[in-house]
Amino acid sequence: MIRFLTLWRRELGAYFSSAVAYILASFFLAVMGLGFWYIASARLITGAAVYDLFRALYGGVAWVAVLMVVPVLTMRSFAEEKRSGTLETLLTAPVSDWQVVLAKFAGVFTLYMLFWLPTLLYFPMLNRLNGGELPFDRGALAATYLGLALIGAFFLSVGLFLSSLTRNLIVAAMATFAVLMLIFLAGFLPEISPVPFIQEASRPFSVVLHMLDFSRGILDSRPVILYLSSTVWMLSACTRSLESRRWRS
Amino acid sequence: MIDVENLVKTYSGGVKAVRDVTFSVGKGDVVGFLGPNGAGKSTTMRILSGFISPSGGRVEVCGLDVTKDSLGVRKRLGYLPESCPLYPEMRVGEYLRYRAELKGVAARHLKKRVTHVMGLCDLEAVRKRSLGKLSKGFRQRVGIADALVHNPDLLILDEPTIGLDPNQMRQIRALIRDLASEHTILISTHILSEVEATCDRVLMLNEGKIVESGKLSELEKRWAGQCRVKVEVRAGEEELRQELQALEGVESLQIETLKEFCRAELCMEDSRDPREELAERIHDRGWSLRELHREGRSLEDVFVELTGGGQE
Repeated sequence: MIRFLTLWRRELGAYFSSAVAYILASFFLAVMGLGFWYIASARLITGAAVYDLFRALYGGVAWVAVLMVVPVLTMRSFAEEKRSGTLETLLTAPVSDWQVVLAKFAGVFTLYMLFWLPTLLYFPMLNRLNGGELPFDRGALAATYLGLALIGAFFLSVGLFLSSLTRNLIVAAMATFAVLMLIFLAGFLPEISPVPFIQEASRPFSVVLHMLDFSRGILDSRPVILYLSSTVWMLSACTRSLESRRWRS
Repeated sequence: MIDVENLVKTYSGGVKAVRDVTFSVGKGDVVGFLGPNGAGKSTTMRILSGFISPSGGRVEVCGLDVTKDSLGVRKRLGYLPESCPLYPEMRVGEYLRYRAELKGVAARHLKKRVTHVMGLCDLEAVRKRSLGKLSKGFRQRVGIADALVHNPDLLILDEPTIGLDPNQMRQIRALIRDLASEHTILISTHILSEVEATCDRVLMLNEGKIVESGKLSELEKRWAGQCRVKVEVRAGEEELRQELQALEGVESLQIETLKEFCRAELCMEDSRDPREELAERIHDRGWSLRELHREGRSLEDVFVELTGGGQE
Protein backbone atom coordinates (compact mmCIF):
# COMPACT_ATOMS: atom_id res chain seq x y z
CA MET A 1 0.00 0.00 0.00
CA ILE A 2 2.88 2.35 0.84
CA ARG A 3 4.43 1.65 -2.55
CA PHE A 4 1.11 2.33 -4.27
CA LEU A 5 0.73 5.65 -2.43
CA THR A 6 4.33 6.59 -3.24
CA LEU A 7 3.74 5.94 -6.94
CA TRP A 8 0.38 7.74 -6.89
CA ARG A 9 1.96 10.80 -5.26
CA ARG A 10 4.74 10.88 -7.84
CA GLU A 11 2.27 10.61 -10.69
CA LEU A 12 0.27 13.55 -9.41
CA GLY A 13 3.45 15.50 -8.66
CA ALA A 14 4.71 14.91 -12.20
CA TYR A 15 1.57 16.48 -13.65
CA PHE A 16 1.75 19.52 -11.42
CA SER A 17 5.49 20.04 -11.85
CA SER A 18 5.05 20.46 -15.59
CA ALA A 19 2.80 22.92 -17.39
CA VAL A 20 0.52 20.11 -18.62
CA ALA A 21 -1.89 20.10 -15.68
CA TYR A 22 -2.26 23.88 -15.66
CA ILE A 23 -2.76 24.23 -19.40
CA LEU A 24 -5.24 21.37 -19.48
CA ALA A 25 -7.10 22.64 -16.43
CA SER A 26 -7.34 26.10 -18.04
CA PHE A 27 -8.64 24.63 -21.29
CA PHE A 28 -11.06 22.35 -19.49
CA LEU A 29 -12.49 25.06 -17.25
CA ALA A 30 -12.65 27.53 -20.13
CA VAL A 31 -14.71 25.10 -22.22
CA MET A 32 -16.96 24.16 -19.31
CA GLY A 33 -17.28 27.73 -18.06
CA LEU A 34 -18.12 29.19 -21.45
CA GLY A 35 -20.53 26.34 -22.11
CA PHE A 36 -22.24 26.89 -18.80
CA TRP A 37 -22.47 30.65 -19.30
CA TYR A 38 -23.89 30.26 -22.81
CA ILE A 39 -26.40 27.56 -21.91
CA ALA A 40 -27.46 29.22 -18.68
CA SER A 41 -27.99 32.64 -20.26
CA ALA A 42 -29.81 31.23 -23.32
CA ARG A 43 -32.02 28.66 -21.58
CA LEU A 44 -32.94 30.43 -18.41
CA ILE A 45 -34.21 33.38 -20.42
CA THR A 46 -36.52 30.99 -22.24
CA GLY A 47 -37.61 29.55 -18.90
CA ALA A 48 -36.15 26.06 -19.42
CA ALA A 49 -35.95 23.74 -16.45
CA VAL A 50 -32.67 23.26 -14.57
CA TYR A 51 -32.49 19.57 -15.50
CA ASP A 52 -32.57 20.71 -19.13
CA LEU A 53 -29.53 22.84 -18.37
CA PHE A 54 -27.84 19.86 -16.75
CA ARG A 55 -28.49 17.78 -19.80
CA ALA A 56 -27.12 20.38 -22.18
CA LEU A 57 -24.00 20.99 -20.10
CA TYR A 58 -23.04 17.47 -19.01
CA GLY A 59 -24.61 15.55 -21.87
CA GLY A 60 -23.24 17.98 -24.47
CA VAL A 61 -20.48 20.47 -23.66
CA ALA A 62 -18.72 18.11 -21.26
CA TRP A 63 -17.93 15.74 -24.14
CA VAL A 64 -15.83 18.39 -25.87
CA ALA A 65 -13.77 18.87 -22.71
CA VAL A 66 -13.46 15.16 -21.91
CA LEU A 67 -12.59 14.04 -25.45
CA MET A 68 -9.87 16.67 -25.71
CA VAL A 69 -8.44 16.39 -22.22
CA VAL A 70 -8.26 12.60 -21.66
CA PRO A 71 -5.81 11.82 -24.51
CA VAL A 72 -3.42 14.55 -23.35
CA LEU A 73 -3.69 13.43 -19.73
CA THR A 74 -2.89 9.80 -20.48
CA MET A 75 -0.45 10.08 -23.38
CA ARG A 76 2.64 10.43 -21.21
CA SER A 77 1.76 7.77 -18.63
CA PHE A 78 3.74 4.92 -20.19
CA ALA A 79 4.88 6.31 -23.56
CA GLU A 80 7.02 8.95 -21.83
CA GLU A 81 8.49 6.43 -19.38
CA LYS A 82 9.33 4.12 -22.28
CA ARG A 83 10.81 6.93 -24.37
CA SER A 84 13.02 8.28 -21.59
CA GLY A 85 13.98 4.84 -20.24
CA THR A 86 12.59 5.51 -16.75
CA LEU A 87 10.28 2.52 -17.16
CA GLU A 88 13.33 0.29 -16.66
CA THR A 89 14.25 2.16 -13.46
CA LEU A 90 10.65 1.95 -12.29
CA LEU A 91 10.08 -1.72 -13.03
CA THR A 92 13.38 -2.89 -11.58
CA ALA A 93 12.28 -1.49 -8.21
CA PRO A 94 10.39 -4.00 -6.06
CA VAL A 95 6.95 -3.03 -7.38
CA SER A 96 4.63 -5.23 -9.37
CA ASP A 97 3.39 -4.25 -12.82
CA TRP A 98 -0.22 -4.04 -11.64
CA GLN A 99 0.78 -1.72 -8.78
CA VAL A 100 2.37 0.61 -11.32
CA VAL A 101 -0.68 0.49 -13.60
CA LEU A 102 -3.08 1.05 -10.73
CA ALA A 103 -1.04 3.94 -9.32
CA LYS A 104 -0.81 5.62 -12.70
CA PHE A 105 -4.54 5.19 -13.15
CA ALA A 106 -5.23 6.54 -9.66
CA GLY A 107 -2.96 9.53 -10.34
CA VAL A 108 -4.55 10.50 -13.62
CA PHE A 109 -8.07 9.81 -12.31
CA THR A 110 -7.44 12.05 -9.30
CA LEU A 111 -6.31 14.84 -11.60
CA TYR A 112 -9.33 14.32 -13.87
CA MET A 113 -11.69 14.59 -10.91
CA LEU A 114 -9.83 17.66 -9.66
CA PHE A 115 -10.61 19.28 -13.01
CA TRP A 116 -14.32 18.68 -12.36
CA LEU A 117 -14.19 19.96 -8.81
CA PRO A 118 -14.66 23.71 -9.58
CA THR A 119 -17.65 22.92 -11.82
CA LEU A 120 -19.51 21.72 -8.73
CA LEU A 121 -19.97 25.39 -7.89
CA TYR A 122 -21.84 26.22 -11.11
CA PHE A 123 -25.33 25.32 -9.97
CA PRO A 124 -25.14 26.53 -6.37
CA MET A 125 -23.83 29.83 -7.78
CA LEU A 126 -26.64 30.04 -10.33
CA ASN A 127 -29.14 29.21 -7.63
CA ARG A 128 -27.77 31.95 -5.40
CA LEU A 129 -27.88 34.48 -8.23
CA ASN A 130 -31.52 33.55 -8.75
CA GLY A 131 -32.34 34.12 -5.12
CA GLY A 132 -32.33 30.40 -4.28
CA GLU A 133 -35.50 29.79 -6.24
CA LEU A 134 -34.23 27.33 -8.84
CA PRO A 135 -35.49 23.77 -8.39
CA PHE A 136 -32.04 22.42 -7.60
CA ASP A 137 -31.83 18.63 -7.56
CA ARG A 138 -28.90 17.40 -5.48
CA GLY A 139 -29.57 13.79 -6.49
CA ALA A 140 -29.26 14.60 -10.17
CA LEU A 141 -26.05 16.48 -9.48
CA ALA A 142 -24.61 13.48 -7.61
CA ALA A 143 -25.66 11.07 -10.39
CA THR A 144 -24.14 13.38 -13.01
CA TYR A 145 -20.78 13.45 -11.27
CA LEU A 146 -20.90 9.70 -10.70
CA GLY A 147 -21.47 9.31 -14.45
CA LEU A 148 -18.60 11.65 -15.24
CA ALA A 149 -16.37 9.67 -12.90
CA LEU A 150 -17.36 6.29 -14.35
CA ILE A 151 -17.12 7.30 -18.00
CA GLY A 152 -13.92 9.25 -17.22
CA ALA A 153 -12.39 6.20 -15.52
CA PHE A 154 -13.16 4.05 -18.55
CA PHE A 155 -11.80 6.65 -21.00
CA LEU A 156 -8.66 7.13 -18.91
CA SER A 157 -8.06 3.38 -18.77
CA VAL A 158 -8.34 3.24 -22.57
CA GLY A 159 -5.78 6.07 -22.78
CA LEU A 160 -3.43 4.30 -20.36
CA PHE A 161 -3.64 1.07 -22.32
CA LEU A 162 -2.89 2.80 -25.62
CA SER A 163 -0.03 4.73 -24.00
CA SER A 164 1.46 1.39 -22.89
CA LEU A 165 1.65 0.23 -26.50
CA THR A 166 3.97 2.94 -27.79
CA ARG A 167 6.91 5.14 -26.87
CA ASN A 168 5.65 8.05 -28.95
CA LEU A 169 3.52 10.60 -27.07
CA ILE A 170 1.81 11.95 -30.17
CA VAL A 171 0.89 8.46 -31.35
CA ALA A 172 -0.50 7.67 -27.89
CA ALA A 173 -2.60 10.86 -27.84
CA MET A 174 -3.86 10.49 -31.41
CA ALA A 175 -4.75 6.80 -30.94
CA THR A 176 -6.59 7.58 -27.70
CA PHE A 177 -8.47 10.47 -29.30
CA ALA A 178 -9.43 8.29 -32.29
CA VAL A 179 -10.67 5.39 -30.12
CA LEU A 180 -12.59 7.66 -27.73
CA MET A 181 -14.12 9.51 -30.65
CA LEU A 182 -15.29 6.20 -32.10
CA ILE A 183 -16.81 5.20 -28.77
CA PHE A 184 -18.49 8.60 -28.52
CA LEU A 185 -19.84 8.58 -32.08
CA ALA A 186 -21.03 4.98 -31.67
CA GLY A 187 -23.10 6.38 -28.80
CA PHE A 188 -25.39 8.04 -31.38
CA LEU A 189 -26.16 4.78 -33.17
CA PRO A 190 -29.39 4.13 -31.15
CA GLU A 191 -30.69 7.46 -32.44
CA ILE A 192 -29.36 7.65 -35.97
CA SER A 193 -28.94 4.10 -37.23
CA PRO A 194 -31.55 3.19 -39.87
CA VAL A 195 -31.25 -0.48 -38.87
CA PRO A 196 -33.55 -1.32 -35.91
CA PHE A 197 -31.30 -4.21 -34.82
CA ILE A 198 -28.26 -1.89 -34.55
CA GLN A 199 -30.39 0.67 -32.72
CA GLU A 200 -31.36 -1.88 -30.08
CA ALA A 201 -28.02 -3.65 -29.89
CA SER A 202 -26.06 -0.43 -29.41
CA ARG A 203 -28.41 1.16 -26.87
CA PRO A 204 -26.95 -0.58 -23.76
CA PHE A 205 -23.46 0.57 -24.79
CA SER A 206 -24.19 4.19 -25.73
CA VAL A 207 -22.02 6.53 -23.66
CA VAL A 208 -24.08 9.47 -24.93
CA LEU A 209 -27.40 8.04 -23.69
CA HIS A 210 -25.82 6.89 -20.43
CA MET A 211 -24.52 10.39 -19.73
CA LEU A 212 -27.91 11.89 -20.53
CA ASP A 213 -29.50 9.44 -18.08
CA PHE A 214 -26.96 10.29 -15.40
CA SER A 215 -27.57 14.01 -15.89
CA ARG A 216 -31.30 13.41 -15.37
CA GLY A 217 -30.53 11.74 -12.08
CA ILE A 218 -31.27 8.23 -13.37
CA LEU A 219 -28.95 5.77 -11.69
CA ASP A 220 -29.13 2.44 -13.48
CA SER A 221 -26.86 -0.35 -12.21
CA ARG A 222 -26.20 -1.66 -15.75
CA PRO A 223 -24.08 1.26 -17.01
CA VAL A 224 -22.35 1.43 -13.63
CA ILE A 225 -21.32 -2.23 -13.96
CA LEU A 226 -20.46 -1.73 -17.63
CA TYR A 227 -18.02 1.13 -16.94
CA LEU A 228 -16.51 -0.45 -13.85
CA SER A 229 -15.90 -3.78 -15.58
CA SER A 230 -14.63 -2.10 -18.78
CA THR A 231 -12.19 -0.04 -16.72
CA VAL A 232 -10.92 -3.12 -14.90
CA TRP A 233 -10.61 -4.94 -18.22
CA MET A 234 -8.66 -2.12 -19.84
CA LEU A 235 -6.34 -1.83 -16.83
CA SER A 236 -5.75 -5.59 -16.98
CA ALA A 237 -4.94 -5.27 -20.68
CA CYS A 238 -2.55 -2.44 -19.78
CA THR A 239 -0.82 -4.65 -17.17
CA ARG A 240 -0.51 -7.46 -19.73
CA SER A 241 0.92 -5.01 -22.24
CA LEU A 242 3.51 -3.94 -19.66
CA GLU A 243 4.33 -7.54 -18.79
CA SER A 244 4.81 -8.38 -22.45
CA ARG A 245 8.19 -6.62 -22.36
CA ARG A 246 9.53 -9.64 -20.51
CA TRP A 247 9.24 -11.99 -23.47
CA ARG A 248 8.69 -9.59 -26.39
CA SER A 249 11.47 -7.00 -26.00
CA MET B 1 25.25 -14.23 -5.09
CA ILE B 2 24.55 -14.75 -8.84
CA ASP B 3 24.18 -18.17 -10.45
CA VAL B 4 23.49 -18.27 -14.16
CA GLU B 5 23.19 -21.58 -15.97
CA ASN B 6 22.74 -22.00 -19.73
CA LEU B 7 21.07 -18.62 -20.05
CA VAL B 8 19.47 -17.96 -23.43
CA LYS B 9 17.62 -14.84 -24.58
CA THR B 10 16.01 -14.69 -27.99
CA TYR B 11 14.29 -11.44 -28.93
CA SER B 12 11.21 -11.25 -31.11
CA GLY B 13 12.36 -11.67 -34.68
CA GLY B 14 14.65 -14.52 -33.68
CA VAL B 15 17.65 -12.40 -32.71
CA LYS B 16 19.70 -14.37 -30.18
CA ALA B 17 21.17 -11.83 -27.76
CA VAL B 18 22.46 -14.32 -25.19
CA ARG B 19 23.50 -17.88 -26.10
CA ASP B 20 23.98 -20.50 -23.44
CA VAL B 21 25.77 -18.31 -20.89
CA THR B 22 26.89 -19.85 -17.61
CA PHE B 23 28.68 -18.00 -14.81
CA SER B 24 28.53 -17.30 -11.13
CA VAL B 25 29.46 -14.36 -8.94
CA GLY B 26 30.35 -14.94 -5.31
CA LYS B 27 29.62 -12.74 -2.31
CA GLY B 28 31.93 -9.75 -2.14
CA ASP B 29 33.22 -10.13 -5.72
CA VAL B 30 33.62 -7.18 -8.04
CA VAL B 31 33.11 -8.60 -11.50
CA GLY B 32 33.50 -6.80 -14.80
CA PHE B 33 31.22 -7.75 -17.61
CA LEU B 34 33.31 -6.90 -20.61
CA GLY B 35 32.31 -6.97 -24.24
CA PRO B 36 31.84 -4.88 -27.35
CA ASN B 37 28.55 -3.11 -28.05
CA GLY B 38 25.83 -5.62 -28.79
CA ALA B 39 27.62 -8.48 -27.02
CA GLY B 40 24.63 -9.17 -24.75
CA LYS B 41 25.85 -7.45 -21.58
CA SER B 42 22.84 -5.21 -21.06
CA THR B 43 20.42 -8.01 -21.96
CA THR B 44 22.01 -10.28 -19.34
CA MET B 45 21.86 -7.49 -16.76
CA ARG B 46 18.22 -6.77 -17.56
CA ILE B 47 17.45 -10.43 -17.01
CA LEU B 48 19.33 -10.41 -13.70
CA SER B 49 17.40 -7.33 -12.59
CA GLY B 50 14.07 -8.95 -13.46
CA PHE B 51 13.17 -6.40 -16.13
CA ILE B 52 12.97 -9.01 -18.89
CA SER B 53 12.64 -12.78 -18.75
CA PRO B 54 15.10 -15.30 -20.11
CA SER B 55 14.08 -17.50 -23.02
CA GLY B 56 15.88 -20.43 -21.45
CA GLY B 57 18.22 -21.45 -18.67
CA ARG B 58 18.24 -20.82 -14.95
CA VAL B 59 19.06 -17.53 -13.25
CA GLU B 60 19.36 -17.22 -9.49
CA VAL B 61 20.15 -13.95 -7.73
CA CYS B 62 20.70 -13.95 -3.96
CA GLY B 63 19.41 -17.52 -3.90
CA LEU B 64 16.12 -16.63 -5.60
CA ASP B 65 14.95 -17.57 -9.07
CA VAL B 66 14.45 -14.36 -11.09
CA THR B 67 11.50 -15.74 -13.05
CA LYS B 68 9.69 -17.18 -10.04
CA ASP B 69 10.48 -14.54 -7.43
CA SER B 70 11.28 -11.41 -9.38
CA LEU B 71 10.03 -9.10 -6.60
CA GLY B 72 12.21 -10.85 -4.02
CA VAL B 73 15.23 -10.46 -6.28
CA ARG B 74 14.50 -6.78 -6.89
CA LYS B 75 14.33 -6.14 -3.14
CA ARG B 76 17.87 -7.47 -2.79
CA LEU B 77 19.62 -5.78 -5.67
CA GLY B 78 20.40 -2.25 -6.74
CA TYR B 79 20.38 -1.69 -10.47
CA LEU B 80 21.71 1.19 -12.52
CA PRO B 81 20.41 0.93 -16.09
CA GLU B 82 22.49 2.05 -19.03
CA SER B 83 22.31 5.85 -19.60
CA CYS B 84 20.82 6.30 -16.12
CA PRO B 85 17.27 7.45 -16.89
CA LEU B 86 15.84 9.90 -14.31
CA TYR B 87 12.75 12.09 -13.95
CA PRO B 88 14.00 15.54 -14.97
CA GLU B 89 11.35 17.45 -13.01
CA MET B 90 12.29 15.95 -9.64
CA ARG B 91 14.97 17.28 -7.29
CA VAL B 92 17.85 15.09 -6.18
CA GLY B 93 16.77 14.71 -2.54
CA GLU B 94 13.12 14.31 -3.49
CA TYR B 95 13.98 11.63 -6.07
CA LEU B 96 16.13 9.59 -3.69
CA ARG B 97 13.43 9.77 -1.04
CA TYR B 98 10.84 8.61 -3.56
CA ARG B 99 13.05 5.72 -4.66
CA ALA B 100 13.80 4.74 -1.05
CA GLU B 101 10.07 4.64 -0.27
CA LEU B 102 9.43 2.62 -3.41
CA LYS B 103 12.13 0.16 -2.45
CA GLY B 104 10.57 -0.38 0.95
CA VAL B 105 12.94 1.56 3.21
CA ALA B 106 11.07 1.96 6.51
CA ALA B 107 9.77 5.47 7.21
CA ARG B 108 11.93 5.79 10.34
CA HIS B 109 15.12 5.02 8.35
CA LEU B 110 14.20 7.04 5.28
CA LYS B 111 15.97 10.28 6.12
CA LYS B 112 19.03 8.47 7.43
CA ARG B 113 19.42 6.30 4.33
CA VAL B 114 18.91 9.17 1.90
CA THR B 115 21.42 11.33 3.78
CA HIS B 116 23.86 8.42 3.91
CA VAL B 117 23.82 7.66 0.16
CA MET B 118 23.94 11.36 -0.69
CA GLY B 119 27.07 11.62 1.44
CA LEU B 120 28.54 8.49 -0.10
CA CYS B 121 27.96 9.72 -3.64
CA ASP B 122 28.89 13.32 -2.83
CA LEU B 123 25.48 14.73 -3.71
CA GLU B 124 24.80 17.09 -0.79
CA ALA B 125 25.76 20.15 -2.83
CA VAL B 126 23.11 19.38 -5.46
CA ARG B 127 20.42 18.10 -3.10
CA LYS B 128 17.87 20.69 -4.19
CA ARG B 129 18.82 20.85 -7.86
CA SER B 130 16.48 19.44 -10.53
CA LEU B 131 17.67 16.19 -12.04
CA GLY B 132 17.17 17.65 -15.51
CA LYS B 133 19.75 20.35 -14.77
CA LEU B 134 22.51 18.04 -13.51
CA SER B 135 25.73 17.28 -15.35
CA LYS B 136 26.21 13.75 -16.68
CA GLY B 137 28.61 12.96 -13.83
CA PHE B 138 26.12 13.98 -11.17
CA ARG B 139 23.35 12.10 -12.95
CA GLN B 140 25.43 8.93 -12.77
CA ARG B 141 26.04 9.58 -9.09
CA VAL B 142 22.31 9.96 -8.50
CA GLY B 143 21.78 6.68 -10.37
CA ILE B 144 24.33 4.93 -8.16
CA ALA B 145 22.84 6.52 -5.02
CA ASP B 146 19.45 5.23 -6.16
CA ALA B 147 20.87 1.73 -6.63
CA LEU B 148 22.33 1.91 -3.11
CA VAL B 149 19.51 3.58 -1.22
CA HIS B 150 17.91 0.39 0.15
CA ASN B 151 21.33 -1.06 1.04
CA PRO B 152 21.16 -4.05 -1.31
CA ASP B 153 23.54 -7.00 -1.15
CA LEU B 154 24.19 -6.83 -4.87
CA LEU B 155 24.81 -3.90 -7.19
CA ILE B 156 24.39 -4.25 -10.94
CA LEU B 157 25.79 -1.26 -12.80
CA ASP B 158 25.31 -1.12 -16.55
CA GLU B 159 28.00 1.08 -18.09
CA PRO B 160 28.31 3.42 -15.08
CA THR B 161 30.89 5.69 -16.71
CA ILE B 162 29.50 5.93 -20.22
CA GLY B 163 29.62 9.45 -21.60
CA LEU B 164 31.66 10.87 -18.71
CA ASP B 165 34.79 12.97 -19.05
CA PRO B 166 38.06 11.52 -17.67
CA ASN B 167 37.75 13.34 -14.33
CA GLN B 168 34.19 12.19 -13.82
CA MET B 169 35.22 8.64 -14.80
CA ARG B 170 37.90 8.63 -12.13
CA GLN B 171 35.45 9.87 -9.52
CA ILE B 172 32.89 7.19 -10.35
CA ARG B 173 35.55 4.47 -10.38
CA ALA B 174 36.80 5.63 -7.00
CA LEU B 175 33.24 5.48 -5.72
CA ILE B 176 32.79 1.94 -7.06
CA ARG B 177 36.05 0.87 -5.42
CA ASP B 178 34.78 2.29 -2.11
CA LEU B 179 31.52 0.40 -2.47
CA ALA B 180 33.33 -2.86 -3.22
CA SER B 181 34.16 -3.35 0.45
CA GLU B 182 30.48 -3.74 1.39
CA HIS B 183 28.72 -4.94 -1.73
CA THR B 184 28.95 -7.55 -4.43
CA ILE B 185 29.21 -5.63 -7.69
CA LEU B 186 28.66 -6.59 -11.31
CA ILE B 187 29.72 -3.85 -13.74
CA SER B 188 29.23 -3.96 -17.46
CA THR B 189 31.49 -1.93 -19.68
CA HIS B 190 33.37 -1.94 -22.91
CA ILE B 191 36.08 0.30 -21.42
CA LEU B 192 38.99 -1.98 -20.57
CA SER B 193 40.76 0.41 -18.25
CA GLU B 194 37.59 0.52 -16.16
CA VAL B 195 37.73 -3.21 -15.55
CA GLU B 196 41.43 -3.02 -14.74
CA ALA B 197 40.76 -0.16 -12.33
CA THR B 198 37.75 -1.54 -10.50
CA CYS B 199 37.31 -5.30 -10.89
CA ASP B 200 39.04 -8.38 -9.63
CA ARG B 201 37.32 -10.75 -12.03
CA VAL B 202 36.32 -10.48 -15.66
CA LEU B 203 33.63 -12.10 -17.77
CA MET B 204 34.21 -11.42 -21.47
CA LEU B 205 31.17 -11.63 -23.65
CA ASN B 206 31.03 -11.65 -27.42
CA GLU B 207 28.03 -12.28 -29.66
CA GLY B 208 26.05 -13.48 -26.66
CA LYS B 209 28.62 -16.01 -25.44
CA ILE B 210 31.19 -15.93 -22.68
CA VAL B 211 34.51 -16.17 -24.45
CA GLU B 212 36.78 -15.78 -21.43
CA SER B 213 36.50 -15.44 -17.68
CA GLY B 214 38.70 -15.38 -14.65
CA LYS B 215 40.77 -13.16 -12.40
CA LEU B 216 42.77 -10.47 -14.16
CA SER B 217 46.05 -12.07 -13.06
CA GLU B 218 44.90 -15.47 -14.36
CA LEU B 219 43.97 -13.94 -17.69
CA GLU B 220 47.34 -12.29 -17.96
CA LYS B 221 49.07 -15.63 -17.35
CA ARG B 222 46.79 -17.55 -19.64
CA TRP B 223 47.06 -15.09 -22.47
CA ALA B 224 50.72 -14.19 -21.98
CA GLY B 225 51.52 -16.10 -25.19
CA GLN B 226 54.56 -14.78 -27.03
CA CYS B 227 57.10 -12.96 -24.98
CA ARG B 228 58.09 -9.52 -26.23
CA VAL B 229 61.12 -7.79 -24.82
CA LYS B 230 62.33 -4.23 -25.30
CA VAL B 231 65.93 -3.32 -24.71
CA GLU B 232 67.87 -0.04 -25.04
CA VAL B 233 71.67 -0.16 -24.92
CA ARG B 234 74.62 2.03 -25.90
CA ALA B 235 75.93 -0.12 -28.75
CA GLY B 236 76.31 -0.22 -32.51
CA GLU B 237 73.32 -1.47 -34.46
CA GLU B 238 75.10 -4.36 -36.19
CA GLU B 239 76.84 -5.56 -33.04
CA LEU B 240 73.54 -5.53 -31.16
CA ARG B 241 71.76 -7.35 -34.00
CA GLN B 242 74.37 -10.13 -33.97
CA GLU B 243 74.17 -10.48 -30.20
CA LEU B 244 70.37 -10.64 -30.16
CA GLN B 245 70.12 -13.05 -33.06
CA ALA B 246 72.43 -15.37 -31.14
CA LEU B 247 69.71 -15.77 -28.49
CA GLU B 248 67.73 -18.98 -28.75
CA GLY B 249 64.10 -18.74 -29.94
CA VAL B 250 64.05 -15.23 -31.39
CA GLU B 251 61.23 -15.05 -33.88
CA SER B 252 61.54 -11.46 -34.98
CA LEU B 253 63.78 -8.57 -34.25
CA GLN B 254 63.50 -4.85 -34.89
CA ILE B 255 66.23 -2.35 -34.15
CA GLU B 256 66.14 1.40 -34.28
CA THR B 257 69.03 3.79 -33.66
CA LEU B 258 68.55 6.69 -31.25
CA LYS B 259 71.75 8.83 -31.28
CA GLU B 260 74.25 6.84 -29.14
CA PHE B 261 71.65 4.25 -28.09
CA CYS B 262 69.93 1.50 -29.98
CA ARG B 263 66.44 0.29 -29.17
CA ALA B 264 65.58 -3.29 -30.01
CA GLU B 265 62.32 -5.15 -29.83
CA LEU B 266 62.42 -8.92 -29.75
CA CYS B 267 59.60 -11.30 -30.24
CA MET B 268 60.22 -14.80 -28.94
CA GLU B 269 58.82 -17.98 -30.44
CA ASP B 270 56.99 -18.93 -27.25
CA SER B 271 56.68 -17.60 -23.72
CA ARG B 272 60.44 -18.04 -23.19
CA ASP B 273 61.81 -15.06 -21.26
CA PRO B 274 65.30 -14.09 -22.55
CA ARG B 275 65.90 -11.17 -20.16
CA GLU B 276 68.34 -12.88 -17.83
CA GLU B 277 70.53 -14.20 -20.64
CA LEU B 278 70.31 -10.92 -22.45
CA ALA B 279 71.38 -8.94 -19.38
CA GLU B 280 74.42 -11.21 -18.99
CA ARG B 281 75.41 -10.77 -22.63
CA ILE B 282 75.09 -6.97 -22.39
CA HIS B 283 77.17 -7.03 -19.22
CA ASP B 284 79.80 -9.23 -20.85
CA ARG B 285 80.04 -6.84 -23.80
CA GLY B 286 80.36 -3.88 -21.43
CA TRP B 287 77.46 -1.98 -22.97
CA SER B 288 75.51 0.57 -20.99
CA LEU B 289 71.95 -0.64 -20.39
CA ARG B 290 69.22 2.00 -20.29
CA GLU B 291 66.09 -0.16 -20.49
CA LEU B 292 65.16 -3.83 -20.43
CA HIS B 293 61.59 -4.92 -19.95
CA ARG B 294 59.15 -7.59 -20.95
CA GLU B 295 55.92 -6.41 -22.49
CA GLY B 296 52.97 -8.34 -21.15
CA ARG B 297 49.87 -8.87 -23.17
CA SER B 298 47.39 -6.26 -22.10
CA LEU B 299 43.74 -6.92 -21.38
CA GLU B 300 43.07 -4.87 -24.46
CA ASP B 301 45.07 -7.30 -26.63
CA VAL B 302 43.10 -10.21 -25.21
CA PHE B 303 39.82 -8.35 -25.69
CA VAL B 304 40.60 -7.47 -29.31
CA GLU B 305 41.64 -11.03 -30.08
CA LEU B 306 38.62 -12.65 -28.45
CA THR B 307 36.02 -10.26 -29.79
CA GLY B 308 37.37 -10.18 -33.32
CA GLY B 309 38.25 -6.49 -33.21
CA GLY B 310 41.56 -7.08 -34.93
CA GLN B 311 40.03 -8.68 -37.99
CA GLU B 312 39.28 -5.42 -39.80
